[in-house]
Amino acid sequence: MSADLESASIGAIIAQREFGPIGREDLQRYAHASGDLNPLHVDKDFARQAGFSDVIVHGMFGMAFLGRLIEDDIVKLQLLAFRATFRKVIEIEQTIVCRARLASRVNNTAVLSLEMLGPDDAVLIDGSAIVEFLTDGSQ
Amino acid sequence: MAIDRKHIGFSLPPFTVFIDREQLRRFVEAIGGSTDLAFAPPTFMKVIEGANGSSRAIVSALDIDLRRVMHAEQEFKYDAQIRCGDHVTVERRVIDIYDRKDGAFEFVVIESTMHNRDGVRIGRSTQRILVRNHVPGSA
Repeated sequence: MSADLESASIGAIIAQREFGPIGREDLQRYAHASGDLNPLHVDKDFARQAGFSDVIVHGMFGMAFLGRLIEDDIVKLQLLAFRATFRKVIEIEQTIVCRARLASRVNNTAVLSLEMLGPDDAVLIDGSAIVEFLTDGSQ
Repeated sequence: MAIDRKHIGFSLPPFTVFIDREQLRRFVEAIGGSTDLAFAPPTFMKVIEGANGSSRAIVSALDIDLRRVMHAEQEFKYDAQIRCGDHVTVERRVIDIYDRKDGAFEFVVIESTMHNRDGVRIGRSTQRILVRNHVPGSA
């Protein structure tokens, strides 16, 4: 797919994939694996006290899916920078779509614009990544 | 309750994190990533900087109620790959505190810098957290 980054037109979708739905057990596993034990993600009563109807997904769990999209689906690249803005709460038990578009390209460096979309195409996360890619001729 | 601006510049004592293969494997499993453990996934940097309970320590030092905290934005810059067996020294500092909407929203910006044992910088992380000062049901 690195050839795509090399030849794709600006604005083109480079990669897109569905993730989830994320359940309570996934949140428990992520909480322990990441060390982020904020009860907002695992304790429904705490989440309610914080003003939510149920536990919510860690923003970093969502960002990890965008990271997988970049690293698994766009090969032969080196990630230089990765940014995410958490626009909306990611609710549990919903399917999300991660999408990367080519925003700009100079020589072997590309900027990707990233989105995570929830139901009704609501933008849950937007962000960007700066990547360096290997062209077919390079070693 | 406003966060005291005297905390701008607050830093934690540097701490060193050993990149343990088992911990990395559990993280990769939790995010559903590939089983190739040669390099850490891009968001694993958040796990490293959060080790030692450091995120909780910052929230406590600034006297912030955890129920009011949301992760608003996250940015990583990568200078070198992070591998199993690395020892990473983390320095974390509060670089800004500001508010919006007449103090209803306060933002705290925390920057982390990570070096390996040879003193080579491997990456930087900037986190923006949102503190909501009017939560339904709270005192």
